[in-house]
Amino acid sequence: MANYVHPEILVDTDWVKQNLGKSGIKLVEVDVDTKAYDAGHIPGAVGFNWQSQLQDQVRRDIISKSEFEHLMSEAGISPSDTVILYGDNNNWFASYALWLFKLYGHKDVRLMNGGRVKWLNEQDKELTPEKPKITPTQYRASEPDLSLRALLPDVLQAQKDSGVNLVDVRSNDEFTGKVIAPPGMTETAQRGGHIPGAKSVPWSTAVAPDGTFKSADELTKIYLEDKGVDPKKNTIAYCRIGERSSHTWVVLKYLLGLNNVKNYDGSWTEYGSVVGVPIEK
Amino acid sequence: MDHQKRVYENVFEMMPSEENPTPLVRINKLNPHAEFPLYAKLEWMNPFGSVKDRAAWFLLRDLEEQGLLADGRGLVEPTSGNTGISLAGLARARGHRLLAIVPNKVPYEKKVLLKIAGADLEIVSDELCPAPGLGDGSINLAKTYAKAQSHKYVMPNQYENTHNVEAHVKTTGPEIWKQTEGRVTHLITSLGTCGTVTGTAKFLRSKNPDIKVIAVQPTEGHDVPGLRNVSQLEVSKLFNPELVDEILEVDFNLAYTRALELCQNEGLLAGPSSGLILEGALRIAARDPRGYGVMIFPDNIFKYTSNMVKHIPELQPQDSNRRTER
Repeated sequence: MANYVHPEILVDTDWVKQNLGKSGIKLVEVDVDTKAYDAGHIPGAVGFNWQSQLQDQVRRDIISKSEFEHLMSEAGISPSDTVILYGDNNNWFASYALWLFKLYGHKDVRLMNGGRVKWLNEQDKELTPEKPKITPTQYRASEPDLSLRALLPDVLQAQKDSGVNLVDVRSNDEFTGKVIAPPGMTETAQRGGHIPGAKSVPWSTAVAPDGTFKSADELTKIYLEDKGVDPKKNTIAYCRIGERSSHTWVVLKYLLGLNNVKNYDGSWTEYGSVVGVPIEK
Repeated sequence: MDHQKRVYENVFEMMPSEENPTPLVRINKLNPHAEFPLYAKLEWMNPFGSVKDRAAWFLLRDLEEQGLLADGRGLVEPTSGNTGISLAGLARARGHRLLAIVPNKVPYEKKVLLKIAGADLEIVSDELCPAPGLGDGSINLAKTYAKAQSHKYVMPNQYENTHNVEAHVKTTGPEIWKQTEGRVTHLITSLGTCGTVTGTAKFLRSKNPDIKVIAVQPTEGHDVPGLRNVSQLEVSKLFNPELVDEILEVDFNLAYTRALELCQNEGLLAGPSSGLILEGALRIAARDPRGYGVMIFPDNIFKYTSNMVKHIPELQPQDSNRRTER
């Protein structure tokens, strides 16, 4: 993890193994499909469901401050805890959770590099179906740090303003409008294409074959040199529903250390459905 | 047991072998190349309806011999359907249970068949987005069960277990050699776990190193159940490129149209993967001046009616109230 601007945002699987059960360290598995957690997870980890626990269940939004406090309290997490997040799909949903933890001001939250697949495929790492015994807390969160979040007006402004990097992390077929969403996905949009001026850097370009993040040098070459993301500008990352872009948000904000990187969680399912906004294919 | 009379004491005696091979049937109307006969090996004639009976039987017996299915421990396996049906049928008949981890895109008919065959089912939504570097969701979930609940589950792992290959070294290869009396020049097959191609090719090459092995794969983005494009092959540890002379990429839509042609012209109710293999074989027969081709036809059409209607809308019965999903 050397050479990342903020290496402290990541821990590796061996670190997690060595620190299992230590007080002040809380493990959370975040999945879109929590069957995986139920079948087996890292001993001591609680499980969050991205769809039902990290999003408002009525309006389209992240959970409120009070809902976040409730979730943390029920998970036995205190504001002073070091929280280690990991999950399925190469940590997309864990990255989204990390963004949410940061948004609500949790001081020490980190990502297990490589996610659940890396842990699963290492011989010396245990899994258990046993859910941990939890002592609830009285968690108090900060007011949301909206500097981390792009809303539609920010994106519309950015689209007109060449002083902002827009990074589209979806697949090439989604970027070009050949498909609106990957096959089988229910969340879609009215139009295909991308936000004018956005640079296409699919999220997967940031990961090595074992699912861990590429080195700082490789990431610098990909994002800053090859794709022309200007580190002097503000940056907004987006995808379809905000989970893949959270993964890239971690890369840009913490591993490359860019200033003012926002995640646009409305992403293409919002932008691609808004009447009258400009779209490129 | 007497394979002549075809009277058996139990289903296990029916499992394929050199003495009890699946049939080889010549393609007549669809192959215009007289100097290059093509024979289809009808794997749906196996007791549980597909080529996967072979691997499933070898995997299961190996686990039994190792004592890994004692004390009520069952099996867990990721499967696109056929391995699960074979494993479930065989396992239940032997007194074991199977938890099949099934990708959501697997056809409805296969999911129901898995349950009928006695599997417990867990359905996962694989391939959320194009994602190089990601493991296969169903494989990882099965591995999770086997690792986290090892007292309840053991995973045969058809993608890595060499008994999958061994099944074809011991059965499919010798059957073809004997049935063709050594005349086979080309083996044409598809790629899934790669157990079939690796094992059959290994045996046939040991008999005649000049036999050409052709793997037919669907184009990327395909929806042909059970098959893999080379870009998806990293999940299988059984692929041995040294045993494959060439990989032909065929438009996956042809899997369905060729299957229909087999049904309507040859009387062979072959499934889509067989259609894809036929298309590959016909290209080889058109290119090479002469030969004697054997194609492995993995299963028949019965499980794929909804896939067929999706690709060939004219198959939708006119009086049907079911709406065709496009």
